[in-house]
Amino acid sequence: MDAPTHLEQANLLRKRFCDALGAEYVSDSLGSISILPVETEHVAGAMRLAHAEGLEVAITGGSTKRVAWLRDTAPVWIRTTSLTEVREHTWQDLTCTVQAGCRWQALQSALGRHGQFVALDPLYPDRATVGGIIATNDSGSLRLKYGSLRDLVIGMTIVLADGTIAKSGGKVVKNVAGYDLHKLMIGAEGTLGVITEVTFRLHAIPRHTRSFTVDCRTPQPVGELLLAILNSHLNTQAMQLRNSKEGFHLDVQLAALPEVISQQTDALRSMVRHLQLDASDSVSDVWKMREWAFSQPGMCTIKATMLPSQIPATLAAIHALGGAGVIQATGIMIAHLPPPGVEGILQLRAQVETAGGSLTIVRDGAKGVDRWGKLPDSIDLMRRIKHQFDPGNILNPGCFVGGI
Amino acid sequence: MTSAAATREQAGLSEELLAQFARTVGDGGIIVERSQLQTYECDGLTAVRNVPAAVLLPRTRDEVQSIILLCAQHKIPFVARGAGTGLSGGALPAAGGIVLSFARMNRILAVDTVNQRVTVEPGVINTHITQRVAAAGYFYAPDPSSQTVCTIGGNVAENAGGAHCLKYGFTTTHVLGLEVILPTGELVHFGSSPPDAPGYDLAGVFVGSEGTLGVATAITLRIVKRPEEVQVLLAAFNTIAAAGQTVSDIIAASILPAAMEIMDRLSIEAAEVSVHPGYPACEALLLVELDGSHAEVELQIKQVQQLCRANGAWEDRLAQSVGERMLVWKGRKAAFAAAGRLAPNYIVQDGVIPRTKLPVILEEIAVMAAETGLRVTNVFHAGDGNLHPIVLYDASIPAQEALAVDLSIRILHRCVDHGGSITGEHGVGREKQQAMGYMYSEPDMDTMQLVRCAFDPDNLANPDKLFPRPRLCGEKSGPYTPHPLEVSGVAEFF
Repeated sequence: MDAPTHLEQANLLRKRFCDALGAEYVSDSLGSISILPVETEHVAGAMRLAHAEGLEVAITGGSTKRVAWLRDTAPVWIRTTSLTEVREHTWQDLTCTVQAGCRWQALQSALGRHGQFVALDPLYPDRATVGGIIATNDSGSLRLKYGSLRDLVIGMTIVLADGTIAKSGGKVVKNVAGYDLHKLMIGAEGTLGVITEVTFRLHAIPRHTRSFTVDCRTPQPVGELLLAILNSHLNTQAMQLRNSKEGFHLDVQLAALPEVISQQTDALRSMVRHLQLDASDSVSDVWKMREWAFSQPGMCTIKATMLPSQIPATLAAIHALGGAGVIQATGIMIAHLPPPGVEGILQLRAQVETAGGSLTIVRDGAKGVDRWGKLPDSIDLMRRIKHQFDPGNILNPGCFVGGI
Repeated sequence: MTSAAATREQAGLSEELLAQFARTVGDGGIIVERSQLQTYECDGLTAVRNVPAAVLLPRTRDEVQSIILLCAQHKIPFVARGAGTGLSGGALPAAGGIVLSFARMNRILAVDTVNQRVTVEPGVINTHITQRVAAAGYFYAPDPSSQTVCTIGGNVAENAGGAHCLKYGFTTTHVLGLEVILPTGELVHFGSSPPDAPGYDLAGVFVGSEGTLGVATAITLRIVKRPEEVQVLLAAFNTIAAAGQTVSDIIAASILPAAMEIMDRLSIEAAEVSVHPGYPACEALLLVELDGSHAEVELQIKQVQQLCRANGAWEDRLAQSVGERMLVWKGRKAAFAAAGRLAPNYIVQDGVIPRTKLPVILEEIAVMAAETGLRVTNVFHAGDGNLHPIVLYDASIPAQEALAVDLSIRILHRCVDHGGSITGEHGVGREKQQAMGYMYSEPDMDTMQLVRCAFDPDNLANPDKLFPRPRLCGEKSGPYTPHPLEVSGVAEFF
């Protein structure tokens, strides 16, 4: 008998996934098998089979931050876009549990019925999924007030490479029982397990906010203002420094009771005047500027991290390279640079790494620039963790720090 | 050979190895006398004791690394110890193991108020950070009740909380970066002073790992701007349920106080006798601390007062001065110690429930207490559903201790049944190992073990803690059926 052809092998494999999960949860296109789970069990079944067969598995949500280095050649894809249910919203306890494929905006709309939200403003909320946002540890301007995902995720269900279903944390905000495995999953880019369900702590949506923008030709005065505001008693909910052809712009959002917000506005204006600057009401889309910085076609997109005091100098360097960026007051920048810019990126990376920060390429890297930069001294430990969780190296292989 | 030396030999710690340890820490850095070692035989969980083989008091990171390298080479278990104030046996030594005391590593290494960060050694006392940055208008937010004596290293190991974590978050919220010696002796850094260091969030998994993943030698922490205005309201209620309802109403009104605490009559009376905070005599006392801008606090205090009165509070008053406010908190934070005035012995528990389950669980605790004939007094962080039931008993009465232990574990099980946790801030340690198996399934705990095996393949860092039973790295898990006595907490699996 002849050896089975490639097509026959593919059909055989597809049949095995169909048998294990049910045909309605499996589809194939372009030579790879897609799993479309609606329950954690489906993911577990798919992983058990992939693990037994030693098949590489790629995990994807809304594909909003699909990076060039995620291998397109994976034979199995877990697509979480049908894993969308908001399982529970215990509004009296300010918690909710949701499946990982739920789109961010859909979750927020459901929570908004009780005036609550997950206090995070990630990129592309209309398309990005809960799981993808967590796997990439995205955060926006609200991080200044509410913290990042590690402060907001209180429980998680994950499926390990061998199909084991494990739960971490729970449904209460305060909980120190066992290791915080869910923190390990945040930002791990799917290399340690598949996130299928998440429990968040919630906050009340602030009802009264007001945003101001302060323009300046040079970065230093607005950088100084940023530090002064951080050191003030203003109820600052969000703050970012960005650049444009016209110069540098500091956006500040205050959130307070209506009786208080006018007082705070006066206090802010007087701080601004003290630096010989002017504050005007922000145009409506300033808090969406991260998306603009992230999505310029043909540009190299980077993320850099720094201390607040280094924000103006870093943005000045981006400006000098012909790029544009948005830096949150927490010290996280999304910026784009025109190609080729290799030298410029390497210089900038050296500058932020010397100050203890990092610069990573998040999209359309410049040739010759490594995605991650200096490897952490804990890289061996990270590799050991990866090996413990995924000894066969089948989950999103090669896409993470140091080739993990 | 003295008896202490014989014990050491038995644990694999030869006189020669001991001399090597002594060389790493220099004169005055090692304790081997049995009478002195007894100081280190337990922490705040005094019911379980092990005399360590030796206590080492390193002064530098390099000394810590040398000690741990020796431990790794000779397979000697070790546990780090700060002030020994932990309540779950986290700093309990392994029999024949080493204690690493951080009493001599207590320097504040760097203060950067511009970027709102400090870097400290693990032996620094929690309140010393606030004292250091107060003049610049900042404070360190996590405030466990033992904050005037407990150390940051211990806070990191346990992910310590406190009354004010309702608004400000836990220790893990404030840890930005860590310098760590792994159980293998490797020196590594987790996180960084700027946010989002590339790679896995190892700081996230290390904080709260109860000393089982290594030893921190330097910690970078976030400090917080001191609010412009702070007010504390005391409200007296006839029932705990009414106080609990008020807490829910405050949250529903979109107010996030800095702290919300409830004390029951027994706790109030005990605190009154011990530190005289001037609490009203009532069935349930609700303490609400609000902070923020002057105008905001003024508005919100009025709202909170209205909610208290609507739920039947017959007295509500503001602490009138900084001194009075401090006294109010001193009374609350002395609650555990004050329980000693109510009974010869007591067990403090640390269960968590979703806030809305407060009235139900308190009723259940009252029923369970009545059934056993033991008294239970309740002090709790009501805002985040963290209960501290204090089970009172007399160890000199035969079998009463076992009854008290059993009751306290059953209370934790009820917390889990309501969707909560067995510990909100005290940690699992040795005390609640068996209860872990009630909260998590075997696959959940096996997954946690993957992390431990990556960090500590030889199981040397604070072994036999946290998990129901030590499992060796590489060992396959089988279905584990706990003995009924274990489930009820009467017996422990050693």
